[in-house]
Amino acid sequence: MGTDGVVIAGGGLAAQRCAETLRRAGYEGRIRVLCAEPRAPYDRPPLSKEMLGASPDESAVGFRGQDFYEGRAIELVLDTRATALDPVAQRLRTSAGEELGYEQLVIATGSAPRTLPAFAPYENVSTLRTLEDARRLRELLHAHARLLIVGAGFIGQEVAAAARAAGAPVTVVELEPAPLHGLLGAEIGGWFARLHQEEGVELLLGRTIATIHGGRRVEAVTLDDGRRIEADHVLLGVGVSPDVAWLEGSGLDASGAVPVDERGRTALENVYAAGDAAAFFDPFLGRHAYSGHWESAGRQGAAVAHAIADAPAAPPALSSFWSDQYGTRIQYLGHARLADRVEVDGDPGARDFVALYSRDGMPVAALVVGRPKALPELRERLAHLTERTTA
Amino acid sequence: MTLVPVIDANACSAHGDCEDIAPEIFHLDDIAEVIGTGPDELMRAAAEACPSGAITLLDADTREQVYP
Repeated sequence: MGTDGVVIAGGGLAAQRCAETLRRAGYEGRIRVLCAEPRAPYDRPPLSKEMLGASPDESAVGFRGQDFYEGRAIELVLDTRATALDPVAQRLRTSAGEELGYEQLVIATGSAPRTLPAFAPYENVSTLRTLEDARRLRELLHAHARLLIVGAGFIGQEVAAAARAAGAPVTVVELEPAPLHGLLGAEIGGWFARLHQEEGVELLLGRTIATIHGGRRVEAVTLDDGRRIEADHVLLGVGVSPDVAWLEGSGLDASGAVPVDERGRTALENVYAAGDAAAFFDPFLGRHAYSGHWESAGRQGAAVAHAIADAPAAPPALSSFWSDQYGTRIQYLGHARLADRVEVDGDPGARDFVALYSRDGMPVAALVVGRPKALPELRERLAHLTERTTA
Repeated sequence: MTLVPVIDANACSAHGDCEDIAPEIFHLDDIAEVIGTGPDELMRAAAEACPSGAITLLDADTREQVYP
């Protein structure tokens, strides 16, 4: 074994899980983790949930303490990002101007929030991805700033819920006819719309922003239907893009998430990818699929570690995510996009139901609202989704 | 009643919420594992908090499923 060991480019969940799993699997080489932020890897889901509460414990988001990394000889290289890859020389260039050799490289640079060019010139416009972003947003919400959220995806919805909890007025503008319409369909999308409306969110669906008013700051926007909305701050929740532009010139396609096989291997020798920067091969769908969710990032980080350490692969897992809004837990399993039918069991008005998605009578996904107990049985009913298909 | 937690290895996504709530009972390794025992209420809180629904609670005497 050489001395360069594993270099993990990126310091999020996939990187953390990869480094931990490598040690647990008995890997004894050097491990370096390049963290773009000036802090050790931390958990991002709380940023749009607990971290927007009145006085959260910010230290709680860190995955592990310093002693954990020291005890396992995991070297954190903080405030440093990968800037270029030479896969022939097996070297990585960093923002600190250094060149690092590697025996195995893990691309785990994650994703960055998308922005909208029309909002670029204004000061009071932000996205939510880092602890700093959450801190600034928290101060605004608790000062009851009038918040305009563009996009009703999970970030937009969770921030809207946090804003209401903080007593801040909030308007959400969404291009689609309902939140999560593309993923969950009109009926369940409509349920999400009512959820937010009941909680006092002004939700404007099927609308786009036509004009932005203001000087250095956005003061108001006019929508395509002529409606004007005043705002103190604008949050863009319009999705994320894999942070892979630095792979330009490496031989890997830098235009999107890096395609990898079921063990996280890219087309380049000794180069792996995991998390939001990767598109894993999904044996059920029979194609590479980008997830962008927490659970898959963790599993993929571990999968890469198992591959590098020559350990057996973990069994395939169901695609899943969760969200907490207004004190209600929302859980999701499977592939709702495949469905041709959705059946609701329970009482959507009481925030207590299961939406079961099926295709040709076969269950393919479930959305569980306020019924965490239903999850294990649904997981069994959907277990066939983790099997390889010839379709 | 005394409860015994069981973790579904296929469901656990290593969120770590169980360990946050009951560090004497759960420990996060590759996935969560049961390392000890504790009050029933803590086990119940951990099982309910699991975003993946991976924790089942059994009655220690009868082995009957109590949660979910």
